[in-house]
Amino acid sequence: MTAADFTKELSVIEGKPALRELDELISKPLETKPNKKFYIALSITLSLFSLLVIGLGLTFYYGIGMWGNNNPVGWAFDIVNFVFWVGIGHAGTLISAILFLFRQKWRTGIARFAEGMTIFAVMTAGMFPLIHVGRPWLAGYLFPYPNQHSLWVNFTSPLLWDVFAVSTYLTVSLIFWYVGLIPDLAILREKTTHKIKKVIYSVFSLGWRFSNRHWQHYEMVYLILAGFATPLVLSVHTIVSFDFAVSIIPGWHTTIFPPYFVAGAVFSGFAMVQNVLIIVRKIFNYEHIITLDTLEKMNKIMLLTGSLVGYAYAMEFFIAWYSGVEAERFTFLNRALGPYAWAYWIMITCNVVSPQFFWVRKIRRSIPVMFVIAIFVNIGMWFERFVIIVTSLSRDFLPSSWAYYKPTYVDAMILIGSFGFFFTWILLFTKALPVVSMAEVKAVVDGAQPSHKEH
Amino acid sequence: MSSSSIEYQKKDLPDKIRLAGFALLAAGLLLVIAGYLVNPARAAFNNIIGFSFLVSIAVGSLFYVAIEYLSGAVWSTPFRRIGEFLSSIIYLLPLLLIPLLLNVDKIFHWTHPDPADKTLVGKAPYLNVSFFVIRVIAFIVIWALFHFLIARNSKKQDSKQDSSLTAKNIKISAVFMPFFTLTISFTAIDWLMSLEPHWFSTIFGVYYFSGTVLAALAAATIFIILLNENGYLIKGIHSDSYYSLGALLFAFTNFWAYIAFSQFLLIWYANLPEETFWFLARWEGGWKFISVGLIIVKFLIPYIGLLSQPSKMNPKRLLAMAGVILFAHYYDLYWLVMPNYGKGEIIFSWNEFGFPLLCAGIIILAVFYKSKKENIIPIGDPKLKRGIDFRL
Amino acid sequence: MSDKILYGCAAVFNTPDEITHAAEKVANAGYKKFDVHTPYPVHGMDDAMKLAPSKLGYVALVFGLSGTLGALFTLWWISAVDYPIVIGGKPFFSFPAYIPVMFELTVLSAAIATVLAMLFIFFKLPNNSHPLHGTEYMKKVSSDKYGISIQADDPQFDKEKIKELFETLNAAKIYLIHWDNDELNHKHKILEPKFLAFLFVVALISSGTAYFTLNKLMFMVPFNWMMDQPKQSAQQKSLIFDDGFGMRNPVPGTVARGYLPYQFKGQPDLAGEKLVNPVPISNESLKLGGQKFDIYCSPCHGYHGDGASRLRGQFPNPPSLHSDKVRKWSDGRIFAVITDGQNIMPSYSTQLSVEERWAVINYVRALQRALNAKESDLQ
Repeated sequence: MTAADFTKELSVIEGKPALRELDELISKPLETKPNKKFYIALSITLSLFSLLVIGLGLTFYYGIGMWGNNNPVGWAFDIVNFVFWVGIGHAGTLISAILFLFRQKWRTGIARFAEGMTIFAVMTAGMFPLIHVGRPWLAGYLFPYPNQHSLWVNFTSPLLWDVFAVSTYLTVSLIFWYVGLIPDLAILREKTTHKIKKVIYSVFSLGWRFSNRHWQHYEMVYLILAGFATPLVLSVHTIVSFDFAVSIIPGWHTTIFPPYFVAGAVFSGFAMVQNVLIIVRKIFNYEHIITLDTLEKMNKIMLLTGSLVGYAYAMEFFIAWYSGVEAERFTFLNRALGPYAWAYWIMITCNVVSPQFFWVRKIRRSIPVMFVIAIFVNIGMWFERFVIIVTSLSRDFLPSSWAYYKPTYVDAMILIGSFGFFFTWILLFTKALPVVSMAEVKAVVDGAQPSHKEH
Repeated sequence: MSSSSIEYQKKDLPDKIRLAGFALLAAGLLLVIAGYLVNPARAAFNNIIGFSFLVSIAVGSLFYVAIEYLSGAVWSTPFRRIGEFLSSIIYLLPLLLIPLLLNVDKIFHWTHPDPADKTLVGKAPYLNVSFFVIRVIAFIVIWALFHFLIARNSKKQDSKQDSSLTAKNIKISAVFMPFFTLTISFTAIDWLMSLEPHWFSTIFGVYYFSGTVLAALAAATIFIILLNENGYLIKGIHSDSYYSLGALLFAFTNFWAYIAFSQFLLIWYANLPEETFWFLARWEGGWKFISVGLIIVKFLIPYIGLLSQPSKMNPKRLLAMAGVILFAHYYDLYWLVMPNYGKGEIIFSWNEFGFPLLCAGIIILAVFYKSKKENIIPIGDPKLKRGIDFRL
Repeated sequence: MSDKILYGCAAVFNTPDEITHAAEKVANAGYKKFDVHTPYPVHGMDDAMKLAPSKLGYVALVFGLSGTLGALFTLWWISAVDYPIVIGGKPFFSFPAYIPVMFELTVLSAAIATVLAMLFIFFKLPNNSHPLHGTEYMKKVSSDKYGISIQADDPQFDKEKIKELFETLNAAKIYLIHWDNDELNHKHKILEPKFLAFLFVVALISSGTAYFTLNKLMFMVPFNWMMDQPKQSAQQKSLIFDDGFGMRNPVPGTVARGYLPYQFKGQPDLAGEKLVNPVPISNESLKLGGQKFDIYCSPCHGYHGDGASRLRGQFPNPPSLHSDKVRKWSDGRIFAVITDGQNIMPSYSTQLSVEERWAVINYVRALQRALNAKESDLQ
């Protein structure tokens, strides 16, 4: 490696593409007919999605007895999947909001896509608590409205906080996404020659005029939204962690849960974004927009969050011993050596060990290796939630009520199908909207900003 | 190299600062010695506050220096030396450590556990005096080592202007991070959590970390503003750099509140007696007011004070808020430590003044002497020019 | 061309440096109604145009705060006033547990309000009929050029002067932009038949869906499975027992808890001798007795027990409870009447529990005493 030049800011976009070329490149998938590959991919995701539909149909028809949940293990795949998918969503908000506040310009290439993933992931996640309640068509009772029973919801329950957190998160993410889309829709409106598309773009771009008197407020609002979205994204996974941590189940009730869950969520979210982006940049030829440097930075964040998660595992283990509470000590030994030890060691290997390879610069910049590691991280983070939920429940205070949990085929169908649901949305998104923010990317091309001169 | 275009003339700090530093140091020392003579146990508890406060400032500053290298931030490069100066306090930590180690049995209940107390006896493999002393010394050695390596490279750059030194420091900083996380967590567990050896909380290390980063940043902000406004730093620093300092202070204030609230809510909600007693001890008698005061001083005042964009750029406002935050960290440590000395009633008298004065004296003198010996600006740093030109 | 109304004069530039310079010059020349159009926000443009800082922060602050306080008030009212219920041993007003919801509502209300305020109040969007729309100028500034436009209603507006200014600034191209007459003269009619038909269809679909969902769908499989519970209801045929009765007799020789059988059926005098009132006279017992008396006894015996009721004259007159006979009866004797009935009076044993019967008797005693008060009662 030659000594890096620290005196200049690194270019975010490689080369110096003309602004018009960027427009053409990014809007190309929207203007061309989908090709064969797209249809093959779509048929795969739709078949996975149909597994979800069948799994849900069986669940609705016969009830949640179709799942493997048993008496001590009342929360299993449903909640594991919920926490997993909400976590995936967090990377999007992190990239669009937190990195915006930190003025990390490399985020521009990936922000739109990551925000889209946030929305789809939260949609997928939101499905699980609903099916978990057994009769999702009665879910309206989760919201506090003056109903005919003159009943109110229980505001001291973290499960209700979840309702508020997840719905707020989805709403604010949608708003954030839409606000970011307005200028791009206006660009498409000006570009398109198709009559119907022109009407659609005109309606949704609201007649945006690229006026600087608007840009000024627009940037302010973007800052404000980012300022709100940052604590919001923390709060969402914090509240998800409260679902567990306010209880007194050993292995659930531990004070480090909130930051640890947030770190884990960001970790898994980045891994998922990484996986999808590696494919997207290849297919759409966005290599100079979503650069290797960007991917490397994401790997660094994965190394950081992965290590934080490892810190939390270690701290939990240490304090379980230090506390001297018998139930705590047993729970953690049971995790590592008990009937679910296989899940625990998968989690440790994938989450703590595999990202450590990113200490090596060569690995950080090798696309196939990072792709594999990111998949490992996703697997590991799914197992993390499995370990937390299932091991703690299957061995609670009373040995007489211990039981082993085994998922059924319906559980498996719903889990696999949720991926189909998520990726179907992703595929449709890549054909319906610009997956990279044109306006934002143009702003960070070399030479796009006035040169610094004291006027 | 662009550094040729940077005009910087080294100016020594005025002598009255040294005088003030020595005055504070002397007054503090006097009170501390008196405190140890009158009531050694109480003085030792105060000593813990002072010690963990200086650890926060010193190690927290080193953390910022490392973070700047790792993240490639440029706006803070002109201020990085302040962090390096403050972190040199690491070498002075043994001064406050020695009286503590002499009084270990007076402050830590676990040094002489009741044999019938199974819990404490079970913790003996970790909580015993010899392992404790080894840990403390090892941590200080680790910190000193990293400070030495990073500061040496940074200083070398002043004359050599070699950007490979920056690359080297990035690597050292990366290695420092895991060490920092572990040492700061276990410092918190050893010195603050084990004061009440029956109590445990997994987030406690993060709690102390959040206070540490706030205090170190606040201390640096105070020096940066005072030095810059009086022309001791370099010309051309824009208010956008102040904004970044203010935004970080604001962010970490929220982070602290988040961590503190998480810890409180989970313990309050689960209501397990083996955990709640720690908070009860801080809610009984006069301590209730101290606890409410902590929320006000450490969260509400800085939050409101730094909320708006202009307030983060206004040097006077920023200075005041940094002062409040620095004070709040000492207050926070007092809230963590002193209820273990006296339950029910507030412990506050002249005995409590010795260590804050001593710490202030040490901090001021450390910066004074370091700035005399070294440049206050890392003039050879390749990022310096960009740091001065920094705009939002 | 001459019948078109001029909107303004615009010019496009090729580089961000040029446009910043141009904006500065135009602002310095004293123009007020001008605007810069760039494909993305150009740094430093706000200063160049001399724009005041955005006020949207205040919108966020106000709506954020009202979200916080509104949530706090609602939660307090719901959990501590309207529906107080002890959960997990926590107080009704559990402030720490409210913080998460308060926070979420703060963010929600601030985010929505700020964006709506920006789009609809600050920008007055949607506006697809602005004269700049559909021009070549707009096409260029949306993609890779940087434009500036000065409106014709600016007090200093002078076509030629502005053209000259733009030329000296090195403009790549200069445009004159006009209002679109069709759009200016077009009037929107609210009561257009098409629009009314649209409203009608929307109403039909939404009400139809609501009706179908609430009245039909919820009663279909699998949604109705909670209504179909495998249990035996009263009076239902049983498939288990040979005799087909769902309701069963108790096992011989057993007595259900709280249902001790009445032993003196048809023997009122014996009951009067043997039965003793187990319920002491107390405030509660009199209150309960009074309530039950007013419900079950007063229709015939009257509110005061004197037989002065609505039924007087329509039946054999119900006797007064203040007669010497009744006054001398023991409590047990009255109990027998209530339980078994007497003459035309039916049994009230299904309406009144044993306890309530005794309470009613206590109340009747109080009524009797009230009509024949002794001097000592006044003390």
